[in-house]
Amino acid sequence: MIELVDLTKKFKHNKAVKKLNMFIEKGEIVGLLGPNGAGKSTAISMMSSLAEPTSGDVRLNNKSILKNPAPLRKIVGMVPQEIALYDDLTAEENMRFFGRVYRLKGDALKRKIDEVLDQIGLSDRRKQVVSKFSGGMKRRLNIGVAMLHEPELLIMDEPAVGIDPQSRNYILETVKHLNEERKMTVLYTSHYMEEVEFLCDRIYIMDQGNLIASGTKEDIKQILSAEKTISIKASRLNDHFIELLQNTPTINRVAAGDKEVTITVPKEINMFPKLISLAEESKLELSSVDAKTPTLEDVFLHLTGRALRD
Amino acid sequence: MVWQIVKKQGLTLLRNPMELLLLVGLPIILIAILGTALGGTMNGEPSPIDVKVAFVEHEDEEQQVDRFMNMIEAELPSETVDEIRAQVEGLMPVSILKENVFGSDEVSDMVEAHDRDASELDMLTDDDSYTAVIEVPENFTYDMLEYMVLDKSDQPELNVLQNETQTIGVSVVTGILDQFQERLTLGAFLGKNSIDARVMELNQDAITGDITTINQKHPITAKGYYAVGMVVMNVLLLASTIGTIAFREKKTHVFDRIILGNISRWAYFTGVLLSGMLFGFLQLLAVYTFAWLVFDVTWPDLIAFLTVSFIYAMAIGGIAVLLTAISYRIDSELITSFFSGILVFLMALLGGSFFPIGDMAPFFRTIGNLTPNGAGMSAYLAILRGDGIPDIWNHLLFLVIFALAAIIFAAFSFPRRGVSS
Repeated sequence: MIELVDLTKKFKHNKAVKKLNMFIEKGEIVGLLGPNGAGKSTAISMMSSLAEPTSGDVRLNNKSILKNPAPLRKIVGMVPQEIALYDDLTAEENMRFFGRVYRLKGDALKRKIDEVLDQIGLSDRRKQVVSKFSGGMKRRLNIGVAMLHEPELLIMDEPAVGIDPQSRNYILETVKHLNEERKMTVLYTSHYMEEVEFLCDRIYIMDQGNLIASGTKEDIKQILSAEKTISIKASRLNDHFIELLQNTPTINRVAAGDKEVTITVPKEINMFPKLISLAEESKLELSSVDAKTPTLEDVFLHLTGRALRD
Repeated sequence: MVWQIVKKQGLTLLRNPMELLLLVGLPIILIAILGTALGGTMNGEPSPIDVKVAFVEHEDEEQQVDRFMNMIEAELPSETVDEIRAQVEGLMPVSILKENVFGSDEVSDMVEAHDRDASELDMLTDDDSYTAVIEVPENFTYDMLEYMVLDKSDQPELNVLQNETQTIGVSVVTGILDQFQERLTLGAFLGKNSIDARVMELNQDAITGDITTINQKHPITAKGYYAVGMVVMNVLLLASTIGTIAFREKKTHVFDRIILGNISRWAYFTGVLLSGMLFGFLQLLAVYTFAWLVFDVTWPDLIAFLTVSFIYAMAIGGIAVLLTAISYRIDSELITSFFSGILVFLMALLGGSFFPIGDMAPFFRTIGNLTPNGAGMSAYLAILRGDGIPDIWNHLLFLVIFALAAIIFAAFSFPRRGVSS
């Protein structure tokens, strides 16, 4: 359906996106994953025709849209990371304005507004001005506005960032529903691994403007097929224990939090006796030690040496 | 779609009471404060000056003229005496002063003159209702005629007893008397040197260039002046408000959504332009209506008033769209903040919103008229004075050219896509 070919965006002093190649097939939910500043938003700005690439091409059904973006704009719905709404207008007034932007009018517009407000659970708040909405409600309306004209391709740039778990689940379920029921193609960018794992068929991972991995969830997890992840929890981790872990040659990576440290080790090694002895040596009181199958988060850690939310 | 953008801008403005208060309430408050505080210093304010003058003559003027004629008959040749006798009416200075000067239409509107008897002089000097008592000494006319015709004796003087409590009235009376005295002296000088008085008349045909008539058909009150001054200034702030709202649309990516809806950027551009024009026009009407109802600021020519308002609103639309385009181009609100925080004040100062700066020097008037608010203000004030469209076409033409220049510059500056690249 849509394809990015060697897409590059250079600003004055840095390259935000470097020779990005990716494609999205009709009916897919594709995840674009990466930490803040990875280049995801710049990539989707170029994909949606809002920013001109420095080089490369964006093709819709094998035709470049760089010179003539109209065919893409007809089928695309965009959910920006920011709340792209009028704070001083009501939910319904916002819907009506953007509905007119998408050339809906009269009864058709009214019907569509009712339908979408119902879908995003804001029917009873339609007369309330957006500035009075909670963060989650604003996010839902932000998505609803992009759904008004039933786009074939919905581009969502971190649509659930900074909201409560209940609203996030609502949004994720809505996206899943749109894809399954209406066969809507979705590009979903996030730095929340669990959102992407829940929604997406295929995933692209970006870091510092580069595409560092791509494939299905299983393909990507295979990157860590020769390793396993062990989560160690303690009431209070101490620096000595972390230092001992880092100096252990059989441990490939160490990611420490306040109460939990995650290590990656070769699959065939039994690390439990060693971990117990290191804990005793550093006078650490262990709460639990669990061996886990690798997650996408672990893959990201493996590929970049950094956690996604760093 | 353009109408949807205008409608949305209107709703956004309406939902911001603080913004509305600033745009409509503030000029009203300023008109009230400045109009009241500075009312007395404004030229057009109706004058409370009420001057009362008493003439006290110690000797009948006709008797003095007769005495003078008898005297010259003995000294001058009969032809000369006949010539002087023929002009005798013009040789009665006190009568001229009372009838032709204080009795003229212009002066009698302001000055009430009474003939009083010399015996009342003490009573008159104690009467505070009189601004001045003009005492004509004995032999005044006789001495004056001797001075003028025979070049004998010194020029006689009138005694003016002034009421110090009526300083403005006293200065009016002394001003009139000084001018009269100068004319008499000049007449005497011309006569003594056998110069024809007509040479002192200006030959208007010889004057080249424009003659500017200061029209005071309808004097402008302080509240009228400040109604115009404050409105033309505050409408500039509307342009920056529209620019700020538009830039917020870029910041929050609403503009991206509009562009992705395949709406031409020119539709958006036109929407901003028309918003500036329409809401500027409505703001002008709202404040002027209030000024009419509360401060009695009335427009003698309503069509001319509406024409100026429409054309000034065009210039406001031009500024709004220019501020929008520049802030989109530089991706910063700096330009709108600079405009509303500094430029509006400077333009208002030069345009004459705070005081008639053009009265200080023609240079300031020229510079002021080269600001849109200054040109708008000059046009409005001219209409308030009773002028019509033909008298203000230069200001209107400037405003139209300014609006077009702003729109063209904005069109060239407006970015091609939603996200600045």
